Amino acid sequence: MTMGDFMPNQGTVTLESRALTKTYFSTDPPTQVLGGIDLTVREGEFVVIMGASGSGKSTLLYSISGMDRPTSGNVLLEGRELTSLDDAEMAGVRLTRMGFVFQQAHFLSNLDVRDNILLPALKAAPKEKDAAIARVDALMERFGIAHVKDHGITQVSGGQLQRASICRALAGEPSILFADEPTGALNSSMSEEVMNALTDVHSDGTTVVMVTHDPGCAVRGDRVIYLRDGLLVDSRELGTWSAEQATQREDDLLAWLRDLGF
Amino acid sequence: MIKPESLYSRYAVNDLVRNKGVNAALLVILVLSAFLMATGAMVIERLAGSVGQLFAQAQPPHFLQMHKGDYDERALEQFAADRPEIDAWLIEEMLGYDSASLAWVRPATGESGDLTESLIDNLFVTQNEEFDFLIDESGQIAQPAQGAVYAPVAYQQKFGLEAGDELTVRTDDGPYALRIEGFVRDSQMASSLSSSTRFLVSAEDFDGLESAGGASPEIIAEYRLTDAGGASDFQAAYESDPALPTNGPAVTDQQIRIIHTISDGLVALALVFVSLLLIVIALLNLRFVIRGTLEDEVREIGAMKAVGLPDKAITGLYLSKYSVMTLVACVLGGLLAVVATNLLTRSVQVNYAEAPLGVATFLVPVLALAAVYVIVVAICRRVLGAVRKIEVVNALVHGSTLDEKQAARRAKRQARWVRRTSLTSSAGDINLRLALLDLRAEGGQWVLVPVVFFLTAVLITLPTNVLSTFESPRIVTYMGAPETDLRADVQYQEDVDGVQEALVAAMRGDERLTDVSTYANLQYQVEGEEGPEILRVEIGDYSGATVRFTDGGAPEAGQIALSALNADKYGVATGDELTIRRDGEQVTVQVSGVYQDVTATGYTAKMQGEVSQGAEAYVVYAAVAEGVDPAVVAAGLGEQFPTTVVLPMREYVRDTFSNMTNAFRNAAWLSLVFGVGVAVLITSLFLKLRLTRDRSKMGVLTAVGFSASEIVAQVRIKTLVVVVAGTVLGVVFSATAGESLVGGLLALSGLGITQLSFIPQPWLVYVLYPLVLAGAGYLGVVLLTRGIRSADKSMWLK
Repeated sequence: MTMGDFMPNQGTVTLESRALTKTYFSTDPPTQVLGGIDLTVREGEFVVIMGASGSGKSTLLYSISGMDRPTSGNVLLEGRELTSLDDAEMAGVRLTRMGFVFQQAHFLSNLDVRDNILLPALKAAPKEKDAAIARVDALMERFGIAHVKDHGITQVSGGQLQRASICRALAGEPSILFADEPTGALNSSMSEEVMNALTDVHSDGTTVVMVTHDPGCAVRGDRVIYLRDGLLVDSRELGTWSAEQATQREDDLLAWLRDLGF
Repeated sequence: MIKPESLYSRYAVNDLVRNKGVNAALLVILVLSAFLMATGAMVIERLAGSVGQLFAQAQPPHFLQMHKGDYDERALEQFAADRPEIDAWLIEEMLGYDSASLAWVRPATGESGDLTESLIDNLFVTQNEEFDFLIDESGQIAQPAQGAVYAPVAYQQKFGLEAGDELTVRTDDGPYALRIEGFVRDSQMASSLSSSTRFLVSAEDFDGLESAGGASPEIIAEYRLTDAGGASDFQAAYESDPALPTNGPAVTDQQIRIIHTISDGLVALALVFVSLLLIVIALLNLRFVIRGTLEDEVREIGAMKAVGLPDKAITGLYLSKYSVMTLVACVLGGLLAVVATNLLTRSVQVNYAEAPLGVATFLVPVLALAAVYVIVVAICRRVLGAVRKIEVVNALVHGSTLDEKQAARRAKRQARWVRRTSLTSSAGDINLRLALLDLRAEGGQWVLVPVVFFLTAVLITLPTNVLSTFESPRIVTYMGAPETDLRADVQYQEDVDGVQEALVAAMRGDERLTDVSTYANLQYQVEGEEGPEILRVEIGDYSGATVRFTDGGAPEAGQIALSALNADKYGVATGDELTIRRDGEQVTVQVSGVYQDVTATGYTAKMQGEVSQGAEAYVVYAAVAEGVDPAVVAAGLGEQFPTTVVLPMREYVRDTFSNMTNAFRNAAWLSLVFGVGVAVLITSLFLKLRLTRDRSKMGVLTAVGFSASEIVAQVRIKTLVVVVAGTVLGVVFSATAGESLVGGLLALSGLGITQLSFIPQPWLVYVLYPLVLAGAGYLGVVLLTRGIRSADKSMWLK
């Protein structure tokens, strides 16, 4: 395996980054967090980004999702160059093509759980309110949080909130879902709930890119890429997830990670 | 070991450097508060000092009565002999000239001019020997040599007169030239609310002027009493004696002091008022900033508590910063106040006296500033009391300043709120809906802005409303006069009746004038508490809607209408009866109504009728025909009748209230500048802190597909809503409760106005000012939201 383009062998390319760099000039001297990343994500793939703290995982995720602008390089989503879009166009892409799940479940405290989930759908198609409500209700049912739909966000558990985050990410029917340490703030049972939900989403054909430092979560992915000091140093195909092979997959992954010095 | 003081100061310095913008804005507001408070206090102290100093030097009478025409000197002597409370008394003889009779020329340059612009009486007098001295610029009792004259300091300023100029008085024998030797301060007539002013000449020149003719002789009977507090009783006693001269105004030293205070103290009061509002604003800000700081730094506070720092030490860490900041603000504000006070009291010092520097001069501003410091630090200490309630685990683990109970309460509150609201229940732009939902949910956190704009709106509109009211020609309705174009006063002269007759004939014959109506001033006697008193009654035709009555209506035959102060004085209301007497004839009249009047110290009355003979004075009103300039007609009539004051109504109003309106104009400008500045500052400061706190919310919105422009729009909507709400409430308050407030103050001041209705300039107060304020708020939000577009959105979610 070279240090160049880490890409799987088949399927349509959904997301692509070329020579992506990110430098923070607010520090003295400036800090280069990403040193030129080439990455390709195929349609329907579940890619996991791993690496030690400070390796640039989250920065990569935010740069390829358009939340942050890279210092140089290109990002293409479904063949469309993202780095040249203006703020409003980029917001449109996030609204209609992307979904986000964060480590902390960021929600608007003045809205109940369902309104929070509905928000992007209502914004994307204000005239199709009823359809959006039906879709969101179905999503909440599917992920087991229908009973808390009119709760305030401080009234539900962390696991429920993260599942609500996944519902919100899916409400706009995105082509790709980004997750930044989605289980980072949860206990093991809640982490399991959330990973089951993400696996479920992926099994429906949604492309997922997830940052995590937890091998137990990373094992759900089709492919794991490894970052060190802002560079993509290796990648490992895990194949399609099955619960029966979970232990075997985790052992393989841990062995690989140990070799990389994780 | 590290001393806590050095830790405090290092923390304070680091914080000041790190949060430059917020700290600078806070400092500016505190400096402004301290500055205005100290200036207000110093101006009041200086003014009181100047007036006190002049009173000490000049020893004005405790009671004085002006009079024109013949009088019975022996009656005055008898009266004085019968009154043991009189310490000293004198009759000051004066020669009155109208302003057009006086001209000046500067021999050195050939410059010249006259004093026509002055609308007040010019009285030539000699220096008194016992009291009521005219004081020169060095504080000495001026003694002019023959050929020399001391002019009033007010004229020195108004006309740019200089010592050495030649003053020419037009007499029947021709011009009488005098050299201006200096300028005098006049304790009785220093205020420009005074209707006359005095020139000081030598006894020889006084005789010369008198024999040259052309002047109208007047006298003032002046009394110094053993007990100055008994002036009102003394006045009643004086007026109950029918033999004494009484056809001019009577004034007590209390009234003189009130006039001085009203005319020159208003600016000082306005300053104190503005500073109090600013202090409230500063305190609201500090509370907001401190609470925000505690929330932002809750983990650090938790850590400090965890390592065993006592609450007091942690509070001290924060308090030291605000104490130092307030101290610096008080020092800076105090220094600025010294400069401002010197500027503001320059005319006071010239008109009255150089106020002596005493302990109070330093103590008053220091106490005012100390009050600001103590209040601000006390409130900071109180807000910082929240540190005690912060629990270590909650702070360190959850980053929350709330304990379990508080967190549970907040969660319940939030749950209740979200159950009541829904994004789907309303239609319209999603950004607008989100902004309004936010505002409704977080109203408490935004309350600073509407409160500030409310106070600012009051600050800006109230003085403007007062100003426009006193500048409006319609204010004559508070002067017991009809709304018309022209006013002519025939008074204080030998042949009042004859002049009046000729004037009215001339006016009726003038095609440019219509609705010529004459009102005669007669003196009646009425039984007061201390015996008979003089009641000045104006007799004329009130059948048209000429005067506005606060109660009842115009008098008909057998009725009398009283000014508010007289109705109060005699304890009568509409429908009551009042017995009045003139020339030994007694009649009982019914009170038909009550009106407001500020003229003749507010004590007047009106009866229906026609009198053209035997009155003390006459006022003739007339309207001008379409397209005619009242000033031109007034000037013509003034020339034709030199002993009569003919003025366009607008000028009469302006002249009567000039000092008051000047004070309010200054206050209005000051308020506008400060108000708009404070509005921009506070909006910016608030948003700076608010946006920092809302970063995660903005991050969420960005992640789910809202553009920076939309997030900016939401912030602007919220800001504009609270700005507009505060402004509208402020304007409404100012027009309603503010009117009552000012009305109440004016009623208390004894000016004769009991029910003030503002006469606002609607476009200015209801359109332009609110727009300016909203614009100021918008400017603040535009400045502060600029950075959102270029911000690194991913940082908002970390």
